[in-house]
Amino acid sequence: MQIVSSGLSDVGRVRTNNEDSFRIVEALNLFILSDGMGGEAHGEVASAMAVDVINKYCESEKEDSGATVLDEVPANISSRTRRLKNAVAQANFQIFQSAQKNPEQRGMGATITTLWLKDTLLSIAHVGDSRAYLLRNGNLQQLTNDHSLVAEQVRRGLITPQQAEESEMQSVLLRALGAHPEVEIDVDEVEIIPRDALLLCSDGLTRMVTEPEIAGALQAEMVPSAAAERLIALANENGGIDNVTVIVVRFEDDANKGWFSWMRRGSAKKD
Amino acid sequence: MAKLSLMFENKLVKEVPIGSRPVTIGRSPDNDLPVDNLAVSNYHARVYFEAGRLVVEDLDSLNGTFVNDLRVERATLHDGDSIWVGKHHIKVDATADAAIPWDTGRKTAAPKINETMVLDTKVRREMIQQAAAMGERAQFSAGRMKVATLVILSGNIDTKEFTLTNKLTVIGKSPMATVRLKGWFKPKMAAQINQRDDGYYLGTGDKVPRVNGTPITGTVRLNDGDLIEICGVRMNFIFRE
Repeated sequence: MQIVSSGLSDVGRVRTNNEDSFRIVEALNLFILSDGMGGEAHGEVASAMAVDVINKYCESEKEDSGATVLDEVPANISSRTRRLKNAVAQANFQIFQSAQKNPEQRGMGATITTLWLKDTLLSIAHVGDSRAYLLRNGNLQQLTNDHSLVAEQVRRGLITPQQAEESEMQSVLLRALGAHPEVEIDVDEVEIIPRDALLLCSDGLTRMVTEPEIAGALQAEMVPSAAAERLIALANENGGIDNVTVIVVRFEDDANKGWFSWMRRGSAKKD
Repeated sequence: MAKLSLMFENKLVKEVPIGSRPVTIGRSPDNDLPVDNLAVSNYHARVYFEAGRLVVEDLDSLNGTFVNDLRVERATLHDGDSIWVGKHHIKVDATADAAIPWDTGRKTAAPKINETMVLDTKVRREMIQQAAAMGERAQFSAGRMKVATLVILSGNIDTKEFTLTNKLTVIGKSPMATVRLKGWFKPKMAAQINQRDDGYYLGTGDKVPRVNGTPITGTVRLNDGDLIEICGVRMNFIFRE
């Protein structure tokens, strides 16, 4: 399977600093996105730290036993996914420690959404309200649960998704990295098939752009970098109240290689 | 508490409260509101809360379900409405403390929050408790998350029941599929179910599944009790407490 990916981050139309961080580690097929919070530039510190710690942890040679994860892990998940979860736990602890040591960093935190592909198995680890989506057969499916107050209220049937969209409490998170020495981390696994597309994004995208618009942009732009640009442009056209960060990943059949590169050549010519 | 009163001409036949489970209406005696009349189907309609609204749903009855004068397949109910099945009608009383719209308490209580913030454990617990209390008044199963389950009715599958705990459940021959199909010509990914905040959605894969006998287009939200048919497998989608 061929994997093509591209990421892009934009400050938006309202804010002056960008607190989002992302990283694509092509050698590992590792994708990391984090949205920082906490005033005076410390949001950036937290999100950059999250991305860096996870990257280093996953890169390190040693296969760990999974002993550092204290809470229970579903028995059926792979060691790869467990490792990704440990990486997120590590990131949480380091942000928390840094905030303890440096009083000016008090209250900083970050969301994290990270995907790691091995062969066709996609490991997902997630905390906060950034999201991962899978576009398959034209259906856009969210792979993560938002850990926000409004999402929790929708899950409990207390408010409708429409009310959640209009709520003033959208920015209230129930979980984030850096708030406590330990954090509950959601993990999941999904098998990837050719022609799937993945999207990681910060809430700056999902608050500005509806899911049908996102699905449309991903289907219209087959080249990940063009899709990423289009999504950021949509968020800014609709107001751009927050930083917007997206990572788009596409999976193509090896058998389709000729056809796909032919098509890319075609689009390159137009430019 | 919201309640339904089954009436025949002007006499009260039976009264039931509406809780977290749907109230079923029909000719069969195992309904919550049994209606002894040949014009009424065995399982005619049901009434339940959905996202804070009271909803009546016709279960493909022969003679139809009417809200006030209008024949409906599915409709939101308001206090004082009457649901007509055959010659009986059911009065809807949603006065006391039916679904309380969340924003009544919210507007004054919450200042506008622009910056992202995390609730610390204490505040979070309080807010969830407050929400849960509201849910209880609204007759929701607040606090208890309902678990979606697929029960296999027929077809070549070893496991008889699947709990949908993942965000994405794949039905197909793929070794990663939760509901694993067997057989030579079965597709790797026949269909998939996505868990969203407000429910479970069935989407097409390499095949188009049928829900309650109708092929789906795009994605459809699954309701408690739906019958899903795909690749010769029939299964029931249900919620367990």
